Amino acid sequence: MLSIKDLHARVEDTTILKGLNLDIKPGEVHAIMGPNGAGKSTLGYVLSGREGYDVESGSADFDGKDLFDMEVEERAQAGLFLAFQYPVEIPGVSNMEFMKESVNAMREARGEAALSSAEFLKKAKEACKQVELPLDFLKRGVNEGFSGGEKKRNEIMQMIMLEPKLAILDESDSGLDVDALQVVAKGVNSQRDGKRSFIVVTHYQRLLDYIEPDYVHILSKGKIVKSGGPELAKEVEASGYAWLKEGESA
Amino acid sequence: MSQWLAHVIERAANVDDWLSPVRANALAELKQKQWPGRRTEAWRYTSLHKVADLALKTSSQAVAEAPQVNGLNSIDLVFVDGRLSTDIAHLQLPEGIRIAALDAKSDAAEALFANIKPAHHLFGLVNDVLAQQGIVIDVAEGAQVEQPIRIVNVSTNGIESHQRTLVRVGQGAKATIIEHGVGNEQSLNTVFAEYDIADRASLEHYRLALQEDQAIHVGGSHFRLHNESKLNSTLVGYGSQLTRLDVDIEHAGEHAFAKFNNIYLLAPHEHFDLHSTIEHAQPNGTTEENARGIIGDKAKAVFNGRIHIHRHAQKTLAELNNRNLLLSRGAQINTKPELEIYADDVQCAHGATVAEIDEEALYYMLTRGIDKQQALVMLNFGFVQELLFQMPNKALADWLQPILRQRFERMMEQK
Repeated sequence: MLSIKDLHARVEDTTILKGLNLDIKPGEVHAIMGPNGAGKSTLGYVLSGREGYDVESGSADFDGKDLFDMEVEERAQAGLFLAFQYPVEIPGVSNMEFMKESVNAMREARGEAALSSAEFLKKAKEACKQVELPLDFLKRGVNEGFSGGEKKRNEIMQMIMLEPKLAILDESDSGLDVDALQVVAKGVNSQRDGKRSFIVVTHYQRLLDYIEPDYVHILSKGKIVKSGGPELAKEVEASGYAWLKEGESA
Repeated sequence: MSQWLAHVIERAANVDDWLSPVRANALAELKQKQWPGRRTEAWRYTSLHKVADLALKTSSQAVAEAPQVNGLNSIDLVFVDGRLSTDIAHLQLPEGIRIAALDAKSDAAEALFANIKPAHHLFGLVNDVLAQQGIVIDVAEGAQVEQPIRIVNVSTNGIESHQRTLVRVGQGAKATIIEHGVGNEQSLNTVFAEYDIADRASLEHYRLALQEDQAIHVGGSHFRLHNESKLNSTLVGYGSQLTRLDVDIEHAGEHAFAKFNNIYLLAPHEHFDLHSTIEHAQPNGTTEENARGIIGDKAKAVFNGRIHIHRHAQKTLAELNNRNLLLSRGAQINTKPELEIYADDVQCAHGATVAEIDEEALYYMLTRGIDKQQALVMLNFGFVQELLFQMPNKALADWLQPILRQRFERMMEQK
């Protein structure tokens, strides 16, 4: 699905990712954990193609295609989804028109016919229900005046609607209480179908109680320094990230 | 002096009705007026050379239909070239509202005519002396009128016309008034409206100045707010050959609230000029004014927004913001937000910007697979659509949205 090799990337003049390797097969859930400043969010931005996040070297093969050779919207149309840590407010564009445009752009890219208004609405209603967002959210501006939790649930709603091949969840747990966390996790789990892959980026182990990963990677200073199974997340929970510094000095 | 204005003054002598004494005062003022040039502050960026020698017919036999607004369910009062074509005697009116023609003498008309609108507006004076037809709407104390009243002005080819609207909203009453103007052929149409909003009364107001192309439209909406009254007004304007609107909102009572949103959308070569003046004459008033415009190629917009807080008007809250989006290098905006504050305990903010695309919002849309071109259309239109979303009347907003969207998409193609 996604194969990243020796990725170096910088934001402005600072190199953040320094030789990152990651291999994700269809249906797998990979958790990426790490302290603040490790480059967790940068990874999502680089993979999605955000301006200002430049690849210095290395490669990323996404489903047989060179990811870094594609525009932002082409990556999305190819099935890459990024759930934002801080979803953007667009007050003048309604969720409805935003999602309709987006869903149909994806469908067009897959060679499918555009959804009719009725079909779209049906799908949107189901997705809203899954993440417990009231329907009138669709009429409001994109993320406008949403609480932090509502924004995060809206991201998951979008993921459900867009049916990506690979979803990167950038700290989808930050700022959520336990109830909201469960709603987000339930939404994500409902999309695990053995084919769709996930990268779950998180600072804390908490989310991984609800979304069980196949692999856990520890990112530090722009590199994956340790990989393991779900038990690795528990270790982090118990001992924090202090051992990273010890490792460095040793 | 322009030929046209000289002719107006001549014609004014022939107007004889119950308003003649008031019209005489206006005529005296008008005779004192200089024809505005580049050095006239109120007309600095809007040249009147297209009006100066204009000689159109002043009477019309035209028959025209008012544009229908689906789902609005309004009481429509239709003027074609300034002539009332609706049979107002047979209207089904909700309780508490009276509608009369201007030529019938009434208390309301007498109290309102040229009493709310400041006398300094040149074309307001022209309207004072020439507008023989108009409508007077009187909403009784306490009446809660849900059904909107729509006053439509249709201008047809080759005609000059003048129409007047007078509205009194009684104490604690509630009403919705829509001023809706259309016309795209060569014409000159002035429409001035005066509103008195009594204590605790509430007015929802819309002015759709949808004159375009060859039309010339000059007008104003003027409001006086009494104690604890509320005004929620939305102005939507195109450019036309020349569209000039003056809006005055006077906080004459305490604790009054005014929300005033403006949207202007200028096709190539159009000209739009909005001057708004908010007078905070009393303490504890609130004003929120937001103006957003998108300006097409070789079109020119002028925005002058003034908030004047008098010495006595303590605890005033006032915000004025103007944002503009220029679609090409040939598009022009002259914007001047002005705050004049003479009280020391107030909260005010004002600003004007020429907007650029929000890169973060664009990136967000791209990550959702939306093509860049389409994302830009959505974001740019979203800029004004945000104010459409704030319109309390959803039927009107839903009707306007696709019309404005289409106009905008044509503007994008023509840049």
